[in-house]
Amino acid sequence: MSTAMNFGTKSFQPRPPDKGSFPLDHFGECKSFKEKFMKCLRDKNFENALCRNESKEYLMCRMQRQLMAPEPLEKLGFRDLMDEKPEAKDKY
Amino acid sequence: MGGFWCQGRRSVALCGRCWSQARWWGRTVKDAEQVLRPGWSGLGGAERGLRRLGTWKRLSGARGPAAQPPRRPGSSNPFQRAQEDEWRRRNKTVLTYVAAAAVGMLGASYAAVPLYRLYCQTTGLGGSAVAGHSSDQIENMVPVKDRIIKVTFNADVHASLQWNFRPQQTEIYVVPGETALAFYKAKNPTDKPVIGISTYNVVPFEAGQYFNKIQCFCFEEQRLNPQEEVDMPVFFYIDPEFAEDPRMVNVDLITLSYTFFEAKEGHKLPVPGYN
Repeated sequence: MSTAMNFGTKSFQPRPPDKGSFPLDHFGECKSFKEKFMKCLRDKNFENALCRNESKEYLMCRMQRQLMAPEPLEKLGFRDLMDEKPEAKDKY
Repeated sequence: MGGFWCQGRRSVALCGRCWSQARWWGRTVKDAEQVLRPGWSGLGGAERGLRRLGTWKRLSGARGPAAQPPRRPGSSNPFQRAQEDEWRRRNKTVLTYVAAAAVGMLGASYAAVPLYRLYCQTTGLGGSAVAGHSSDQIENMVPVKDRIIKVTFNADVHASLQWNFRPQQTEIYVVPGETALAFYKAKNPTDKPVIGISTYNVVPFEAGQYFNKIQCFCFEEQRLNPQEEVDMPVFFYIDPEFAEDPRMVNVDLITLSYTFFEAKEGHKLPVPGYN
């Protein structure tokens, strides 16, 4: 944290997160999803764009286990992934 | 008339006070001028006037209203008298302006606080928070695919906190407008439950205003039981406007740094911001 109190020097102002804090996953209920995500990241050279499905699944796991406030996935920026899903559904 | 000058500055200052007092009590300057007409008997008259207004009891020491302050002999020359009148009028005007300026300064010092806040928000000077991001914005934002930014992670712990706290990935490549997930891991190796609370920092500072966390684990107390290890996720995105900021043209690396402190029981840390 910058402690410079000078006027005019740029300092960092931390902001609270938009949706608050994640409750801790004490029982490791979503650990398998996290492991899948981390494995994907390591395989794809830490590129986030290629592992968005896994991150979406992790957040869905949290929502199902009451470890996160349920929100429609579009609001979390997964709209492009949602558009693919109905197409897959229509096939069946 | 001439008695004004005999007390030197004091009487003029006091008279100036009288005039200002007259202003405060809603009288116009014109009324004050009437008080100062020729024939006004120096400080005694001021005392009477102010007593009427209910302010000072005694203006000048032990002198009663009957005693007149010693005066310089009045000028018999009409031209000199006119000149003295002119000086008196000018003095009055100047004092009125000075009083108005003092009031203006006081008002400006009160107005400065919200004005400065507004200025900081518009120019972003001092790294202040940019006006809020709603979830609608997240829904509609379009990733800027040609601008890849590397986000590295750093984890720190305060000396008195005995947790093992580290990031689970060293870096991640994101583009502005795309939400991303990252993990930290914390372990409590002691035999007692420990409560920690964390804060974060983003370097470079200017990029910090574009770094938005949707959800994380900071600023709230997190309790770890003995020998417990948990995964702590951070869900964030970089504002698409980052790609349009000319100051950010050379920024390709952003470092997110979390620091954990030990929270004392019953100690409430204030959430940062202007709330």
